[in-house]
Amino acid sequence: MQKYPKIAIRNGKRYFFRFSLVQRVQHIILFTTVITLALTGFPLRYYDQPWAKPLYEFFGGIEVAPYIHRITGLILLALFLFHTGYWIYLFFKNRVGKLIREKRVTAGNLVKEFLSQEMIPNGKDGRDMVNMFKYLLYFTNRPPRYDRISWKEKFDYFAPYWGIPILGPAGLALWYRDEVSHFLPGIVLNAFYIMHTDEALLAALFLFFVHWYNVHYAPEKFPLGTVFLTGYLPEADMIHEHYDEYLQTMKEEGLEHEIKPQHH
Amino acid sequence: MNMPGGSNCSRRDTINRMPASIGKWALSLTLILSGLVFISWSPGTQAADELNCVLCHKYRGLSRIDEQGNFRLFYINEDLFKKGPHKRIQCKDCHRDIEKIPHDPAKKVDCTVQCHLIEPSGEEKFSHKPVAEILSKSVHGKLNEDGDEKELAEDFPHCTSCHDQPLYRPLSFFKGHEAGISERGLSRCKTCHRTGDFAEDFYAHVTSRLQKLRVSKEIAGICAKCHGDEEFQERHGLQGNVVASYWETFHGKAAYFGSEDTPDCIDCHVVYGESVHSIESKDSPTSATNPKNVAQTCRSSECHSRAGENIAGYQVHVDYDDPEKYPLQSYMLTFFKFLMAAVLYFFVILIFLELLRRLFPKFSFIKQPEAASKTPPGNQ
Repeated sequence: MQKYPKIAIRNGKRYFFRFSLVQRVQHIILFTTVITLALTGFPLRYYDQPWAKPLYEFFGGIEVAPYIHRITGLILLALFLFHTGYWIYLFFKNRVGKLIREKRVTAGNLVKEFLSQEMIPNGKDGRDMVNMFKYLLYFTNRPPRYDRISWKEKFDYFAPYWGIPILGPAGLALWYRDEVSHFLPGIVLNAFYIMHTDEALLAALFLFFVHWYNVHYAPEKFPLGTVFLTGYLPEADMIHEHYDEYLQTMKEEGLEHEIKPQHH
Repeated sequence: MNMPGGSNCSRRDTINRMPASIGKWALSLTLILSGLVFISWSPGTQAADELNCVLCHKYRGLSRIDEQGNFRLFYINEDLFKKGPHKRIQCKDCHRDIEKIPHDPAKKVDCTVQCHLIEPSGEEKFSHKPVAEILSKSVHGKLNEDGDEKELAEDFPHCTSCHDQPLYRPLSFFKGHEAGISERGLSRCKTCHRTGDFAEDFYAHVTSRLQKLRVSKEIAGICAKCHGDEEFQERHGLQGNVVASYWETFHGKAAYFGSEDTPDCIDCHVVYGESVHSIESKDSPTSATNPKNVAQTCRSSECHSRAGENIAGYQVHVDYDDPEKYPLQSYMLTFFKFLMAAVLYFFVILIFLELLRRLFPKFSFIKQPEAASKTPPGNQ
């Protein structure tokens, strides 16, 4: 696997490594499929709205759009499976491997390693969230100092990662309703219908409103943060969003004397 | 014209059926135009209109408000009429009470009378009576099993409740397709049936029954005239707005977007292969929608042919606001509603506060020293 320098310098500015190429490609596949699925799905949910028909016609109307939706859904499901394999691979390579080398493989240690993965919510997230509200309500002048993944980013991550296993199988079952009716009661299809459309609405509203606020609409990000393309976050954003990780990285790179304060 | 027409065929009067307000205008126009029509008259363009009814009824504005306050349109689109199933029938064959011209308001047409056409496979005069008989035995018939009139008999459909004639629509788009006879198809008939009239008439007759004349959306619209009416539902003790719930299904949505493959009301409510007039109540053991027959209906060869028996358990007409009848759907919707509200309100408030915080970045009720920022706190 390619080794990424933790700090890259471009035009005299520091950039901090966040996402590898494999992760960035996964994200690009994720958002293109999700947007396509939303555009070919919501016209059906809101069929009687004036925008629904023209939008649906753009994707080929009722004769074509459902197939675009299904094929895109399959790609997204494949991505989900790949991503699951990907983090399991990383988990074994980086953590279980270490335990084996150090001969510390016990159930307790495995659980501990599992829970300390960077995407798993932990106690610090809870404290950060409380601190965030204290800060937002003017009860402190010190914003929370996030580590590598803040609790907001974990929300962003789990919106699709919990959404896909709900939406995907429900969509597949509705697609293969004839086969499903051989071993599941028919009313399950009614349940899948609601699961598919309502979870989709929740995911879409969350992603296109909350996530896009975080990476597009927020004043310091507008029109878009570039980290999803370059994999590197500018220093100012790093200080603003991941101060704990910033401090740690600067120390590791021997740049302790150049650490900037959280406030300017 | 060689129509079997009876004694009235020789009359060449114009038929007038207009309200007094535009009567004078129309009468003078009639006089001028009748002169023109006599000059340009040719048998080929007049179809079966020997009484020249279209002379007046071709005006798009020919209409009035009737005694019940309904807007009535009397316009006939001659082009469509000539391509329609009744093109060889004279107006008076159905509108039998019209004896003089200008005529009084005509009575409703009885579709079960024999018309002057001879049914080509036999020697009998043609009638729609067999259709009426099927209808009378179906759930839509006006009489109950004992032969008595059902309650609210006036609510039950007659022929024209569903079969509106496109002839009376002033500007109708014929579903975006070329209306009428395919010349290419016709050329095959004409090879042997050398008199064009015969080939055209029978080709039109046969193909019109083989084509799907109305898209699914239109069929649902026809049923909605009664079954989409809340008051009607209540009057007849029917369960929920079945048309509204149809639109909420994938079938309905596909139909709404113009799919011609998707099932409409008829496809599921008529026993496969039977006349569409024979719809029965779901309580009848032979009904397509009887719980015992639903799976068979879904599996009819063109639809869910590979489906298992359980497909019958899928609920088509769901009222999402009725937790007693549809508890699963109703509770699931409530769950998602609360989940969505919780997640979105939380983040809307968060974003709102975050934007507010930017207004006074330095302000705080409780000041904490900045110095701590150089060393990470022991929070791990």
